[in-house]
Amino acid sequence: MNPLTTRAHHNKAHPLKNLPDERLIEDARNGNVHAFETLVKRYEQMVYGFSFKMCRNKEKADETLQDTFINVYKNLQQFNGNSKFSTWLYSIVTNNCLMNRRKRKMDQEMVSLDEPPVEEGAHHHGTIPSWEDTPAEKMMNTELRSRLDTSIQKLPQDYRVVFILRDIEGQSIEETAQILKLSIPAVKSRLRRARIFLREQLNDYMVQ
Amino acid sequence: MKKTQRHTLNCRSVYKHICENLDADIDSAKCRRIRAHIEECENCTAYLDSLKKTVYLYRAYPTPLVSTNAHKELIAKIPFATVSEKKRRSLG
Repeated sequence: MNPLTTRAHHNKAHPLKNLPDERLIEDARNGNVHAFETLVKRYEQMVYGFSFKMCRNKEKADETLQDTFINVYKNLQQFNGNSKFSTWLYSIVTNNCLMNRRKRKMDQEMVSLDEPPVEEGAHHHGTIPSWEDTPAEKMMNTELRSRLDTSIQKLPQDYRVVFILRDIEGQSIEETAQILKLSIPAVKSRLRRARIFLREQLNDYMVQ
Repeated sequence: MKKTQRHTLNCRSVYKHICENLDADIDSAKCRRIRAHIEECENCTAYLDSLKKTVYLYRAYPTPLVSTNAHKELIAKIPFATVSEKKRRSLG
């Protein structure tokens, strides 16, 4: 019996898009192409968005999107269900982003954060100017976007990925640690340095 | 004496704490002391606010959507046949 025919009949009563991840993964493992396509449709924006935030380039994000789902398909049998499917996906797309970056040898313009980018508490002797309260949609002009892009691209990948996963994607500290195979103190330390660095990069623009 | 100056000695530890626990709502004695410090310290208030705005701006940065073409190209590149054949072979 053709498993796809069986699934197609089954899907009349239960559209695939309403099935939980676990069921789709099981069906995809059993050769159901449509189940895998449904998983792609459900998560492609998450993968693409994360990839874009890492590389700030649509073409590279497209490339990483493809690499990620090809890897997911090839390795679907290895997903053990101990974590959320999205957590597993993040770990794969993160690896792909880091590998693609290394392949392109584009790390030259990044700064080193082995030492804190600014002395913490360096403002003890002066007054810290307040940043303006301006709605983001109003501030998202070309100049600010450019500043946000260049600032995050200076941030080393190991720090950038922590900032994006935790602060932009909203993963918990624990999930970020699991995705990156880091300890929780290591995640907190990188997050702290990334936040300080990005704040410093935007400071002169924001206090104008 | 200004309130800001009175708390200057604690600012360094407050910076470290707020940079690490920006949005964490931790209820400990240390956190309560730090919150009390921030409420009275203009510098720490400004620093915390600027860190939160940094995150806010990056969150607000618009993310492009996956295009229909990109989706089609992606599906076309998934090696379905290869794996399906493996599956068929494994089923005998």
